[in-house]
Amino acid sequence: MKTRVWIVIFAALIAVCLPLAFILGRLGGGHIANIYRDGKCICSIDLDSVTEGYSMTLDDGEGHINTIRIEPGSICVEDANCPDRVCVNTGRITGGSKPIICMPAKLVIRLESRPAEGFDAETGG
Amino acid sequence: MSVKRLTRLAVLTALALALHVLEAQIPPLAPIPGIKPGFANIVTVWALVALGPLDAALILIARILLGSLFAGSVTALIYSLAGGTLCFIASLALRRFVSEKQLWALGAVGAIAHNAGQLAAASLILKSAAIWSYAPVLTVSAIVTGVFTGLIAQLVHARLKGKTSK
Repeated sequence: MKTRVWIVIFAALIAVCLPLAFILGRLGGGHIANIYRDGKCICSIDLDSVTEGYSMTLDDGEGHINTIRIEPGSICVEDANCPDRVCVNTGRITGGSKPIICMPAKLVIRLESRPAEGFDAETGG
Repeated sequence: MSVKRLTRLAVLTALALALHVLEAQIPPLAPIPGIKPGFANIVTVWALVALGPLDAALILIARILLGSLFAGSVTALIYSLAGGTLCFIASLALRRFVSEKQLWALGAVGAIAHNAGQLAAASLILKSAAIWSYAPVLTVSAIVTGVFTGLIAQLVHARLKGKTSK
């Protein structure tokens, strides 16, 4: 293939993905933080109803400990004992479709518009 | 296997492994999981073009197994293997569409495929598709880093051409 064709392919990919990445970071989320472990929701918090920030420790029973910080309208992992600490480095999320993920602890924190099924979205079910 | 070939594979595996381990020591470039330079792919791309698919695959597998041993976790092995395998398949499939002056494109395609493999493995382990929302930003970063590492492989290949006897 001609070099020009390759350049067009990659330029087009960037042209599509860059706005999409931006949009996913802003849109699509809600203010209910659903915390999933191993694909199952373990906790659901309505961030709009939080008036004072607090921390919560999640232990998976296999030695992975994540400390979650909940503030009015935002959530983050403030500490984790895994070596990569990707979840901590992801920082605070306030909305959008991008989750906080901790691979070793199989933890996914998503901001969604409604609580996960079976949860009442206050301080956890 | 001739001694020469065995030695060459060993040296290239050591080189790829050194890059692999070195890269793991670099702090994350961005607060997004999975963004990394992918230096070890320089060796894979070069070996694929200069030595052929079999030698490239042998180096890749040895590097991933040993690299995960150093990282010390089974999950690291699963991700590396998923990413490395998909990267290799994509690079191999597109090998005949790129000339020796377009190896940068091979690097970028490999990097995109590598990310896709890792995202697939991660979403299976997490039992959640949520992680795919990182795909667009990872694709952009894969193109940037992949062109860079592919270009290095291309320049190395141009310098070594004719000097590497089979």
